[in-house]
Amino acid sequence: MSEKREKLSTFDMMEKYLEEIEALADEFMASAFSEGPSWNTETCCLQALSNVFITSREVIVTADLPNIEPETVKVEAVDENLIEITAKMKKKVRFADLGIYHRQGEFSFLRCQGRVHVAFDAEKMKISCKGGILEVRFPRKK
Amino acid sequence: MSESVEIVEKKPIPSEATMIIGLPDVGLVGLIATSYLISELKLEEISYMDSDLLPPVVVLHKGLPHAPLRIYGNQNLIAVISELAVPVPAIYPIMREIVDWGQAKKVKRIVSIGGIPVESRQTITEPKVFGAASNQELLDMLSKRGLSIMNEGYIVGPQALSMRYSLSKKMSAIALLAQSFYNYPDPEAAAMVLKEFSRIFEIKVDVSKLLEKGEEIRLKARDIMKRTQQEMNRMKKSQEYDLPLYV
Repeated sequence: MSEKREKLSTFDMMEKYLEEIEALADEFMASAFSEGPSWNTETCCLQALSNVFITSREVIVTADLPNIEPETVKVEAVDENLIEITAKMKKKVRFADLGIYHRQGEFSFLRCQGRVHVAFDAEKMKISCKGGILEVRFPRKK
Repeated sequence: MSESVEIVEKKPIPSEATMIIGLPDVGLVGLIATSYLISELKLEEISYMDSDLLPPVVVLHKGLPHAPLRIYGNQNLIAVISELAVPVPAIYPIMREIVDWGQAKKVKRIVSIGGIPVESRQTITEPKVFGAASNQELLDMLSKRGLSIMNEGYIVGPQALSMRYSLSKKMSAIALLAQSFYNYPDPEAAAMVLKEFSRIFEIKVDVSKLLEKGEEIRLKARDIMKRTQQEMNRMKKSQEYDLPLYV
């Protein structure tokens, strides 16, 4: 049986590519917004807000890291698809500091994870942090 | 009253007031700015909003329950805030009800406060504030008072509807929008928009405490920002990045 090959114009290919990206973004959003607390008293971590952007050349991960000591920021590729960011806070934050008195616990770290669906070079990452906004750039692997 | 939304009045409502709307949106700029204004000017809770379109939620403050969508005020100002990311299907009836109610209460003008998402926000030290208005006279007034005008562009969400409904009722409406992060809480942008609001309407507001508390606000606002982002994605908020075409 001969295989019928679909002929696509450049625009159709681009549209298909964009649809794929949108589907991946939806998947990412679904995992990022899974229900559950934005804190973990066992690991003393507050979950930081983060974003992953993928361009044709780079994977760019940003995170909102207020109240941190910039020199403690750690960026790690947990596996080939998962990036984890942790940072120590300048001072511990207790629930009471946030006006919450019916829970107990204190937090020393901000932490977040970002899933990336393209290959990237973790060895060549570039990190910058300004006003508690972290930006990490990884070149994409070809 | 809209079919599914009711504003319940708790105290007498001033007439001829300026109504500010600060619902959760880009960078939570409107919500942060308006709630800071409420506490700085010690505005009283005068009404709240009830709707089956909202999730079954009350917010506890000092042990007492409050509706998440509330209206505060004094003799000159009425301020609408929501401590809940407003679900997209509820935005239309809620904004319609707010504008209708504002008209019934003879508000002088409606001022929507919010953010404009800017990709390079982390490189901006002092976010700029832009204005839009429902008529040329208001736009000229903003311009004369030194505000940059948002000449071309899309506005999506609560500010868009407040503008649309006000226009249809020939009411005066203004949007004050500060450059901000899209989905990170942005107290600096909120401070800038409040500074402009204070300058334009000659209402004294000291934003220094807001700037001092910036990091604390960013920590506290993570959850509502996350839920707001879900709603912003649903309403295709990212269309604000688009360039409009009108030849």
